[in-house]
Amino acid sequence: MFFTIYKQELNYWFKRPTFYIYTAIFFALALFFAASTAGVFDFITTTTNSSSTVNSPIGINNLFNSLAVLIFFLFPSIVGVSVYRDYKSEMHSILYSYPFTKANYLFAKFLSSITVVLMIVFAIGLGMFVGFRFPGTNSEIVTSFSFMAYAHAYLVYIIPNVLLFGAIVFGVVTFTRNISAGFITVVLFLLVQGIVESILRDPESRFLSGLLDPFGASASSYYTRYWTVAEQNELFLPFKGVIIYNRLLWMGIAILVFGLVYKYFTFSENAFSFSFGKKAPERSVKSNFGGITRIKLPEVGFDYSAKQNLRTMWKLSNIDFKYIVTSWPFISILLVGLIFIILTASVIGEVFGTNTYPVTWQMLLVPGNSFGLFINILTFLYAGMLVHRGSISRVNHLIDVTPIPNWTLLWSKFIALLKMQAVLLLVIMLGGMSIQIYRGYYNFEIGHYLYELYALNFIGFIIWALLSLFVQTLMKNPYLGLFVLLVISIGIPFLSEAGIEQSIFKYNQAPGFSYSDMNGYGVTYHSYIIHKIYWLFGGLMLLIIAGLFWVRGIPNSFNERMQLASKRFHGGIVIFFGFLLVGFFALGFSIYKENNINNKSFSSKVREQQRVDFEKNYKKYEEYAQPRVVAVKSTMDIYPKQLNFEATAKYTMVNKTQEVIDTLFLNHNGYPSTFTFNKEVSLVLEDSIMHFDMYKLAQSLQPGDSLELFTSVKNKPNTFLRNNSPVVANGTFINNFRIFPTLGYNGSNELTDDEARKKYGLPKNPLRPMPSDSAALGNTYISKDSDWIDFEATVSTSQDQIAIAPGYLQKEWVEGDRKYFHYKMDSKILHFYAFNSARYEVIKDQWNDVKLEIYYRKGHEFNLDRMMKGMKASLEYNTANFSPYQHKQLRVIEFPRGGFAQSFPNTIPYAEDAGFIADVDDTDEGGVDYPFAITVHEVAHQWWAHQVIGADVLGSTMLSESLSEYVSLKVLEHQYGKEKMRKFLKKALDGYLTQRTVESKRENALMYNDGQGYIRYQKGSLVFYALSDYIGESALNGALKTYVEKVKFQEPPYTTSEDLVNHIKAVTPDSLRYIIKDMFETITLYKNSVSNVTSKELPNGKYQVDIEFVVSKYRNNDQGKRYYGDKVGDTLTYTSKNLIQPILSVPLADYIDIGIFTEEEVDGKKKEVVLYLQKHKITSIHNTISIVVDKKPTEVGVDPYNKLIDTSSEDNRRKL
Amino acid sequence: MSLRKILGYLPQSFGVYPKMSAEDLLDYFATLKGVSSKTDRIKLVKEVLEITNLYDVRKKHVAGYSGGMKQRFGIAQLLLNNPKLIIVDEPTAGLDPAERHRFLNVLREVGTNCTVIFSTHIVEDVKELCNEMAILNGGRILKHTTPQEATSEIDGKIWTRIIGRDDLEDMEKMYNVLSSNYNQDNSLNIRVFAEQQPSTEFVLAKPQLDDVYFIALKQDEFVSIS
Repeated sequence: MFFTIYKQELNYWFKRPTFYIYTAIFFALALFFAASTAGVFDFITTTTNSSSTVNSPIGINNLFNSLAVLIFFLFPSIVGVSVYRDYKSEMHSILYSYPFTKANYLFAKFLSSITVVLMIVFAIGLGMFVGFRFPGTNSEIVTSFSFMAYAHAYLVYIIPNVLLFGAIVFGVVTFTRNISAGFITVVLFLLVQGIVESILRDPESRFLSGLLDPFGASASSYYTRYWTVAEQNELFLPFKGVIIYNRLLWMGIAILVFGLVYKYFTFSENAFSFSFGKKAPERSVKSNFGGITRIKLPEVGFDYSAKQNLRTMWKLSNIDFKYIVTSWPFISILLVGLIFIILTASVIGEVFGTNTYPVTWQMLLVPGNSFGLFINILTFLYAGMLVHRGSISRVNHLIDVTPIPNWTLLWSKFIALLKMQAVLLLVIMLGGMSIQIYRGYYNFEIGHYLYELYALNFIGFIIWALLSLFVQTLMKNPYLGLFVLLVISIGIPFLSEAGIEQSIFKYNQAPGFSYSDMNGYGVTYHSYIIHKIYWLFGGLMLLIIAGLFWVRGIPNSFNERMQLASKRFHGGIVIFFGFLLVGFFALGFSIYKENNINNKSFSSKVREQQRVDFEKNYKKYEEYAQPRVVAVKSTMDIYPKQLNFEATAKYTMVNKTQEVIDTLFLNHNGYPSTFTFNKEVSLVLEDSIMHFDMYKLAQSLQPGDSLELFTSVKNKPNTFLRNNSPVVANGTFINNFRIFPTLGYNGSNELTDDEARKKYGLPKNPLRPMPSDSAALGNTYISKDSDWIDFEATVSTSQDQIAIAPGYLQKEWVEGDRKYFHYKMDSKILHFYAFNSARYEVIKDQWNDVKLEIYYRKGHEFNLDRMMKGMKASLEYNTANFSPYQHKQLRVIEFPRGGFAQSFPNTIPYAEDAGFIADVDDTDEGGVDYPFAITVHEVAHQWWAHQVIGADVLGSTMLSESLSEYVSLKVLEHQYGKEKMRKFLKKALDGYLTQRTVESKRENALMYNDGQGYIRYQKGSLVFYALSDYIGESALNGALKTYVEKVKFQEPPYTTSEDLVNHIKAVTPDSLRYIIKDMFETITLYKNSVSNVTSKELPNGKYQVDIEFVVSKYRNNDQGKRYYGDKVGDTLTYTSKNLIQPILSVPLADYIDIGIFTEEEVDGKKKEVVLYLQKHKITSIHNTISIVVDKKPTEVGVDPYNKLIDTSSEDNRRKL
Repeated sequence: MSLRKILGYLPQSFGVYPKMSAEDLLDYFATLKGVSSKTDRIKLVKEVLEITNLYDVRKKHVAGYSGGMKQRFGIAQLLLNNPKLIIVDEPTAGLDPAERHRFLNVLREVGTNCTVIFSTHIVEDVKELCNEMAILNGGRILKHTTPQEATSEIDGKIWTRIIGRDDLEDMEKMYNVLSSNYNQDNSLNIRVFAEQQPSTEFVLAKPQLDDVYFIALKQDEFVSIS
């Protein structure tokens, strides 16, 4: 019997076009993604990066994961349908009287549908296999086929997941007899998964999160999270520990779910229902036999006018809306969605464990992200449900014969969908406000909520609703419709991969907008709105077409529907459609014209080619001598209302070389500019695409001679569709590189990927010379055309704003309706400055003779004290330890959302979201006081960048960023104690280890780094903090002081990381010299762990602790490949019968912290107390030591504070 | 479109939206049928509920109605636009005798001032209700007449006799047997269509509408074979 049903089910599916459509979609998607990651579109878009192998086991697994969401939506429409269709066709009333057992029925139904799902899912593997080898893919990044990699993905993740979710969806649909409930279950699962992920996002919870992730992805990443690029390319995915537990747990749950389905399933006529306080059934009796009734219908008015139809449309939409919002699937999504919003929105913007105040714009980031996807899924689903609602409940025959016109029906469904979306958007607002109330933030900006949700976001959802109705009207099967819509909505952004880059060619795409407290929406959203209106026209046309194909009465064949549609297309519809069509094309053309004809726009492919051409044409001039800028006098007129600027600069330049200079190379930008020299020149080349000009001097510039360049720059007029200026209404922040020219060839545009370079016939790119290359030390890494300059600027702005540039305010005056500020710097600075303008409030303070100021937006007073304290503390620490501060003034200036702060001479522009709205928790549990820490860091740059600046060679950012970060850590430590540092360092370690896994070219050792943030900030802070722990803060600072003395404000040749490391070496004892090699010269990682610990009480009341622990370290090359020694035979090895593989290590003579801890109760809280903490010299991998402590120990650790870089830091400690 | 304004239609089988009461659903249909004023709709719905004797259960979900109640609900919705043309498709199938009577009475009552097109397999219904009739088979009209005319046409041509079960096959070969049905003693009663008395065992029977139906079908069968 089992096989009869099983075979019959399979036959059913094999005859359905749906099965083939699903298979084809999955095959095509997998092929598209595989082929596009393997570079098949390289001929129309940018060259795919070559560092990672795309079909490595982890690459294959990731690709499967990215299609996982779509796989889940197969379950309701296949697994769910298997039982549901018996109910729908009312077969169940016959079938259930047949003599087969419930086991036969359920297993056959379940397994057959699982078989069908698996067949479809196997198409993914096939698609990937073909995609990776598709003609045109880049064979350099595709490795040979590995059956194991595919088998692993299927056996460990996909098949168990199919069984698990299959069982759950099967259960839900079987009991509710409602397929939508199956879809909602899937959505709920995704939501719950998101919730679990956000609760367990801390590194300490990773094990738990790995265990609980029903999809198994977190379990896998528990082991693969820190895999380097080389490891990702080569290693097979692990199958051990938490992955096995996770799979067993969820397989167990799958079996349990199916068991419950089996237990409670009965062959009954009616659906399983929950009944609360059910009334005793009434006896239904027949009465009133026969009898003649007089029928006299009351006289009523019938109204078939369009106006009445509109009213009817509204009324009908209410009925459909009520149907949606009273269905329990919708209600459950609403509730879980609310929880999801509250949990996810409350952690947005978290930095080092410290949250921001729940400002409204942050609460509103949720709909743009994940919750928007859920609104879309519900729209797709309920569009199908509403369109097919009549035929699903078979009431369509009654409705279709009424005189109601098609458009009334269709548009009523459209309006019902919009009402549903409006409710969901309201949930976002309620969720956001709940968080605000919970966190005690009562500045409710209801207007802002309403505007963003109902004016800006809503229109995007409306456009999806229009497409949904279109697709669902054309498709007979609403679940297939849902699936197609999902594929469309998820797939559209990926069209860029295939070279379709402009928004006007991608449904419902528009440039984004963003809100900041300072500047509101700015002008970015004009273009957003125009694009949305454009797509609204497109969507409305789709709805009209949907109306033409609306099914009324008996379903027709395709040809009949075509004929019917053309018959329906007449009169007012034609006019309305024509109006939309004209509007659509007019808007589309205006946008196209603005972006492609009035302004040049280049596809990423063309831009790549331009960069290649630039290098090919001009790199030969790189070594040409150029004069150096020695003084800049600038004016900057900012027009915040008109969003315009007009700027001028006078460069005074000197030929500092020993050569005669006859040609000038000028790099500028696309702004309309003029360039005039005070000597006769002729323009010999003007590259209007790359903005690179060559001027020939009539009379060559002799060594020591000077030259002046006067430049004026303004923006092109702004149009409604396009803003051509960096000026914003409130909070302008423009640095000199954005507007003013630079001299000489600029190599920053060169392609870095060596494979891509090879394709274009370019040699390998070493990025920068080594620090040892003494010929390469002529420039700082900030600027290539200058050393130290004199600076002066006059800045003007509207009368209600303050404009700021580096320097000291000389004069301030009003002219007409404009305010002028004249700034002049009293000492030499780098050729690096910025202009700011906004409506500012100012607070002032003083540190010694230095004037401190913070310019901020009214309302952002939260952390001014912390920032002021940070400025003072940083000035104090740097002055005391290194050298005096070079200026008499220090200013922090707020600018709109950007997430960073940047240090210019005596001026620090600071984004509103980088500290101004941080909600610092000063308790022990609280995170890092980052407004303080960032301020200290930026102020430290006044030394570490603005006094000591490295040459433009590898590793120079260590001198500025790593050292500023070091100062910031030390000041933080003195202020808040070691405990808070651990939070900081833990995040830094996680950040370093995570970001290096997505390295696209190479990871060099710290002192040779290419400037990647994760090396110069995260690794830099870890290294210098550990270094100060090993050699002592005063010894390190002493070395830094001598170094600063030697190199500050130096002229070329500039200093390098080697110079600094030599200074450090000088104060490092020989026994610790190895740390210089480990930390600066190589990439060295430890694998430390406690393998066993026992303790016993001694007769004298003390405790003897015996610790068995493992210390090993390995090195990574620049691709992340491990090695253990410099030459053959110097690798340490440890084998034990408990180990599957021997442990290898670089030779050890290392000093490692061994710590023993106990817990004490202080003020009712448990606190960790250190009983023992000493560095021990370790020379072998496996160690045992015995230590006597005074109190009963509770925990021991090797490198317990994670000062060393270790990918599994949680096994460094062990509880007794 | 103008047809739909005067049309009342009751399909052979239909569903309703779940979780909606009769009152709400009828209000919904009344809206669809163009009854614009709310008070009009309330009046109208109340009236049709009373006509169909559903007023007491108007607050109950229609999806939970029994077959007869649902059928009556079908009539109720059909009356909402005061139709001039009513099409009902096998409405009495599955109704108990009382329900059926009531149903036919209502239809009759409505039919006094409008046209009712009534399709059924229950010949009895036709006899009781219809002024005109047509027999359809395989999409073709076999006969278009009135019930009285139809029966009078075959008056004197219907013959009946009682035979044993085993004789049926022979009889069918010899005569134009229209129908046969069992008696209590397992003998068969057959009816035969013939211009003259087929044999002496046959007695003349009073023509019934059923006979008309069978004759029409038989003739159609004959035509399709030849």
